[in-house]
Amino acid sequence: MKRRTLLGGTIGAAVLGLTFGLTSAALAQQPPIKIGMSMAQTGGLAGGGKASQLGIEIWRDDVNARGGLLGRKVELVVYDDKSSASETPAIYSKLLDVDKVDILFAPYATVPTAPLMPLVKQRGMLLMGNFSFQVNSKVGHDMWFNNAPWGPADSWAASFLELGQKAGGKTIALLAADQEFAQNLALTARDVAKKMNMQIVFDQAYPPNTVEFSSILRALKAAKPDIVYVASYPPDSAGILRAVNEIGIGNNVKIFGGGMVGLQFGAVMENLGSLLNGVVNYNTWLPEPSMQNEGTKAFFETYTKRAIEAKVDPLGYYLAPFGYASGQMIEQAIKAVGSLDQKALAKYLRENEHKTIVGPIAFAADGERKESATLQAQFRGVVDKNMDQFRKPGTQVILFPAKMKSGDLISPFEAARK
Amino acid sequence: MKRNGIFFWVGAAVFLIAIALMTKLITNEYPFFAGYVILQFIVLAVAWSILGGHAGYVNFGTSAFFGMGVYTAVFLFKVAGAPLLVQIAAAAAVGALMGFALGLLTLRMQGIFFSIATIALTIVIETSITNWRYVGGAAGIQLQRPPVTWPFSGYVQMLFFVQAVLVVLAVVVSRYIQNSWIGRGLQALRDDELAAECTGVPTLRLKVLACVVSGALMCAAGAPAAMYLQYADPSSAFNLNYSVSTLAMSLIGGTAHWAGPIVGAILLGTTQQLLTVTISSEVNVLVLGVMLVLFVVAAPEGLIGLLRRIRRHRREGKQ
Repeated sequence: MKRRTLLGGTIGAAVLGLTFGLTSAALAQQPPIKIGMSMAQTGGLAGGGKASQLGIEIWRDDVNARGGLLGRKVELVVYDDKSSASETPAIYSKLLDVDKVDILFAPYATVPTAPLMPLVKQRGMLLMGNFSFQVNSKVGHDMWFNNAPWGPADSWAASFLELGQKAGGKTIALLAADQEFAQNLALTARDVAKKMNMQIVFDQAYPPNTVEFSSILRALKAAKPDIVYVASYPPDSAGILRAVNEIGIGNNVKIFGGGMVGLQFGAVMENLGSLLNGVVNYNTWLPEPSMQNEGTKAFFETYTKRAIEAKVDPLGYYLAPFGYASGQMIEQAIKAVGSLDQKALAKYLRENEHKTIVGPIAFAADGERKESATLQAQFRGVVDKNMDQFRKPGTQVILFPAKMKSGDLISPFEAARK
Repeated sequence: MKRNGIFFWVGAAVFLIAIALMTKLITNEYPFFAGYVILQFIVLAVAWSILGGHAGYVNFGTSAFFGMGVYTAVFLFKVAGAPLLVQIAAAAAVGALMGFALGLLTLRMQGIFFSIATIALTIVIETSITNWRYVGGAAGIQLQRPPVTWPFSGYVQMLFFVQAVLVVLAVVVSRYIQNSWIGRGLQALRDDELAAECTGVPTLRLKVLACVVSGALMCAAGAPAAMYLQYADPSSAFNLNYSVSTLAMSLIGGTAHWAGPIVGAILLGTTQQLLTVTISSEVNVLVLGVMLVLFVVAAPEGLIGLLRRIRRHRREGKQ
C-alpha cells in the first residue's frame, strides 16, 4: 500500500510538473539572459553592496514577472569581491570566459571597479557602473555608463560651495579622510575654490579610522572659516559630528558638510539623531515630493519588506533605487535594440534619455551623467532614535539641484542646528 | 641526496614547461587570472617561511613587502615606463634593503615584540604611500599595460608565466637554504639563540641574510601585481589579508620543510579561489576560519608534519 501511494504520488507530481513545465515552456525554451557582476558581501563595502544588490534583484523579479527580455528570463550571476580591488579581475574573467554572461554590471564603488576598466575595454563589453567616481577618465571606454548621479567631476564640490557663497561665505575649511573617495572630493574642492576665488584657510587630511576629532576641530574653529567642507567615511562622520556637538564650530560658519559618507544610511542616521540637524550633505535619493517618479513608490514598498529578510539598510535610499535603475536602463536598451549586441546597446544608452525610478538619466560622452543630480540636502528637525522620521518628507530638505529643490538653506550653521 | 637533486631540477623544468604550454594551449583567460593569484601566494608563503619557518621569526609584515613591491613597480612605470623585468628586479632590490633594515631590528627584538614591529612597519609604509601624491596617494592610480612581449599572446598569460618563474626561483633559494649550513644555523638559532651564538653560529649575520632573502622575494612577488590589476591603491596593496593568508598557508603546509608552504599555498589559495566563485558570501570567510582551526588542532606541524608522523608510525609498526 505504501509503495503504491508513493508511486501514485510520483506520477501525480510528474504530471503536475509537466503541465507547469508546458505553460512556462515559452520562457524555458531559451537559455536565460545572464547578467554578471561582483558585489561586496564582506568587507568595508558590504553594507552598501548588499543594498545595491537587493535593488537589482527586485528589478530582476519585476522584469521576469513581465515576461523577461527578448522572450528570455533574466538571471543574475553574483560573486563576492570582498570589497577589494585584487579580487575583481579574476571574477570578471570567470564571468566572461566560464559563465559566458551576456551583460556586465560593475561592482559597487570605485576601488573594486577600477581594475576592470581596461579588461572590459579590451573585450569590447558594455559595463553598467555602480557608484564609482571617475574611473573612466583615464581609460576612456566608450561603453561605460555610471548609474550614480555624480555628473561632471567638479559639480559635487561646486554645488556645495555655491550654496555657501550665496549664504555669504568667502573662506573655506577642508577636512578630508586619507582615503580614495574623500581625497578625490577634496581635490576637486580645491580646484573649484580657486575658480570661485575663495580662500582656503584650513586644509587637513586625517588618517582613516580616526575617532577623536576634538583637537582637529579646535584648530579648524581657530581658522574661522565661513564654509566647512567635510569629506569623510561612516565612522569618522559620526566622530566629527559628535566633536562638533561637544565644542561647537563658531558663529561664522554658514554651511557645514558636503561629502560625508554614512549620513545616507538608516542605521547611522538613527544613531546620530539630533546631531544631524543643520548639516548640509550630499545624497542621491530622498523621500521629497520632487523625487517621486513612475514606479518609485512601488519599488520602496517592495524594498522595505525585503530589506528585513536580507538584513540590509531599512531605508535604502542611497544605493538600492539606482541598482533598480541600472536594470531599467538595460531593459529599455535591450527592448529598443532587440538584441544583446554590446555596441548597439551602448549606442542606444549614449544617445537617449532613460526613464527610471530615480528620474530621467542621460549620459555624457565619458559615460557619466550629463548633468549632476547629486543632491545637497539639509537635515531639519531630526529627533533622537527614530528611524521612521527619515521616511517623511521635510527631514532632509533638498537645496540643490534647482529642479528638485524643496526648500532654502537655513544659515548660519549654529542657527540651523537648533 | 643526489637522486633527490635530479628529481627536483627535473620537476622544476617540467613545471615551467607545463606552464609555458598552458599559456599556448588554453584560450580561456580565467585559469590564468585565478592561477596567477595562487602562484603569487606560493612565492609569498615560501619567502615567508625562510624567516618564519627556518629562523622562527614570525613576520606579520608580508603586506608591507608586497605593497612595497607593487609601488616600486608603479613608480618605475610612471617615471620611465620601465618594462616588467626591470620592475621586478628593482622591487627585489628594494625588498632586500627593507629586509636588511628588518634584520637589524632583530638585534633588539625577538619573539612577539619582533612580530608587533613588523605590523608597525606595514602601517608606517602604508601611511607614507597614502600621502605620496605622485603614485596616486589615497585615491589610487590606474595604469595602462604596454603591449605584450613575444612569445605570449596576452599580458595575463605573460604575468602567469613570470610568476611561475618566480615560484621556481623562490623554491630553489628556499631549498638551498634548508639543505646548506645557512639552514642548519637558522635552525639552531630558532631552538635557542643564545646557545647557538655561544657555539659559534653567526646568528646576526644569518638572521639578516634570511630577512634580506625573504624580503627580496616578497617584494618581487608583489611587483607584477601592479600590471595584473592595472590599478594600485594603498588599502588593497597593503591589505593585511596578504599577511594573514601567507602565514596561514605556511602553517597549514608546515614550515619544517621547503615543500610545506607550497602545499599550504596551493591548498588554501585554491580553496579561496573556489569559494569566491561558489559560496561567495560571508560563509567563505567562516570556512577558511574553520579550516585554520582544524589544522591547528589536528596538524600543529602542518600537512608536512602530519605526513612525517604517519610515516614514522608506519615504520614503527613494521618493526
